Amino acid sequence: MNIEFKNINKRFQDFALLDLDFQVRPGEFFVILGPSGAGKTLILELIAGLIKPDSGIVTGIDRKKIGFIYQDYWLFPHLNVFDNIAYGLKVRKQAKQKIIMTVKEVAGQLEIGHLLDRWIDHLSGGEKQRVAIARAMAISPDVYLFDEPTSSLDRNLRLKTRKLFMNLHQDPSRTFIHVTHDFEEALSLADRLAVLMDGRIVQCGKPDEIFNHPKTKDIADFLGYRNVFSGVVRDYFLQLEGIAFHVPLQSAGFAYIAIRSDDIIISRKPLQSSARNSFYGQVEHIFNRSTLVEVVLNIGVVLIIEITRKSFEEMQIKLGDQLWATFKVSAIKIFKHD
Amino acid sequence: MKFKIVFSFLGFLLVLLIGLPILKILFSTDVSELINTTLQPEVYQSIGLTLRASLWATLTALLVGIPLAYVLARGRFKGKKLIEGLIDLPVIIPHTAAGIALLAVWGRNSFLSEISGLRIIGTEAAISMGMFFVSVPFLVNAVKTGFKLIDERYEKTALTLGASRWKAFQTISLPLVKKSIFSGSIMMWGRGISEFGAVVILAYHPMTASVLIFERFQNFGLKYALPVTVLLVLISLAIFVVIRIFEER
Repeated sequence: MNIEFKNINKRFQDFALLDLDFQVRPGEFFVILGPSGAGKTLILELIAGLIKPDSGIVTGIDRKKIGFIYQDYWLFPHLNVFDNIAYGLKVRKQAKQKIIMTVKEVAGQLEIGHLLDRWIDHLSGGEKQRVAIARAMAISPDVYLFDEPTSSLDRNLRLKTRKLFMNLHQDPSRTFIHVTHDFEEALSLADRLAVLMDGRIVQCGKPDEIFNHPKTKDIADFLGYRNVFSGVVRDYFLQLEGIAFHVPLQSAGFAYIAIRSDDIIISRKPLQSSARNSFYGQVEHIFNRSTLVEVVLNIGVVLIIEITRKSFEEMQIKLGDQLWATFKVSAIKIFKHD
Repeated sequence: MKFKIVFSFLGFLLVLLIGLPILKILFSTDVSELINTTLQPEVYQSIGLTLRASLWATLTALLVGIPLAYVLARGRFKGKKLIEGLIDLPVIIPHTAAGIALLAVWGRNSFLSEISGLRIIGTEAAISMGMFFVSVPFLVNAVKTGFKLIDERYEKTALTLGASRWKAFQTISLPLVKKSIFSGSIMMWGRGISEFGAVVILAYHPMTASVLIFERFQNFGLKYALPVTVLLVLISLAIFVVIRIFEER
């Protein structure tokens, strides 16, 4: 059953969530992407029933079967790791033996079995996060709500955590709703994505749809990456419609790749350079962005290329011009992959 | 180094200001006189009554003060500032005035006395009530501050894990503010023990230690009031030192 937000409005003292209307499908990894202060955590709290909307309704969720992991984890400091993980089972009055078994099982899965007697103060950031996930997992939730759970971790731990989330997502009975301001994280995890700005969902869809076709300039500015493609990576190539990109990975199965619009060079003639990706295409649109100009080049797929106004004027680019687009393999970022 | 010396000196001045009168009365009383005073039933009964009455006041305040502190710390509602001001009021008003206000409510032929049928003026209950009235702000404010320092998201997390609001309060909020509850209770109990103004109006008899000291001073002079004073000071000091040691552990 879908989790549905139907015309949700919620006003706070100096902030409001407005006309939220979206669905999350069962088993989906749904990411809400938005800048800080956009109201992401409040959406999760609405789903969890911790706050009530002024109008509208959230349907399709059993609030006894959610696992909420806050950004700062909020592990109970007066309980040790075991009792933190066991908390949800104890309030459900499960048998002592079952509690011990479940806690040990989830702690084992998350490789924190050796920490069960520790106090929360004595854990590292990464360990705290795993305890918080274990605490949520122990009650076997149908829906996981993640509130920027990796934002306070270093890059290494962030990557590890993403892997962990992907592993958890292997189970199709689990639905994930994850809020973040980090588009890399969003691209790495999302089946579908919603962009939240100023309390409104401004765009919702598959990651490549959103990154390549942002509805507004504000969304485009926030997303940063403009050229996002999905496909199967094989033998260092990502195959697209009639063309193939050289990518920095031999084999990744299905993957999202992204190229920054300012990492692409355009030229009238093919460049003799070390760059492995070079394509010929036609200028379809030109957008003026104050000191920069955005050139939309159709090379079989659409590439968005950002150049300075000075270069644009010197090259005398017009609609319909045939140009070369060149970029290095290292300019390609590979995100979610199997 | 200079910083340490200046702060130590200023701190020492404060200790001296409090310590000097205490030391003076301690050295003005000889041990045999102190033992004789302790063995007087009037004295040990009044000290026992004082400690007990303040304890009842504190226990009652825990029952109603913790919920109020929680509501004031977490709630946003009209009239909150007024309630907070009302709770602080007993700290500011003269305690004799507090005693008179309580007498007006609970005295003979008063409204509450009539409808409840309770005649509490001149009883241990009246003493507890007087102590409660003047010292409850210490408990409520300490616990309120404790709750304010505990992020609401601990409770929210407990709710998402399946706890009811009661369970979340009992298993998360309450244990997290136990230090504030403990120190607030100690402050309230201690303040209750020292109360004179309100108590003397509500119940001259049975006599609390502060009323006994006052009576002996009025009727027989300083020399006769001193041993009871020293005894009360020593007992209070011993209790508070033990509690502080216990609190640190």
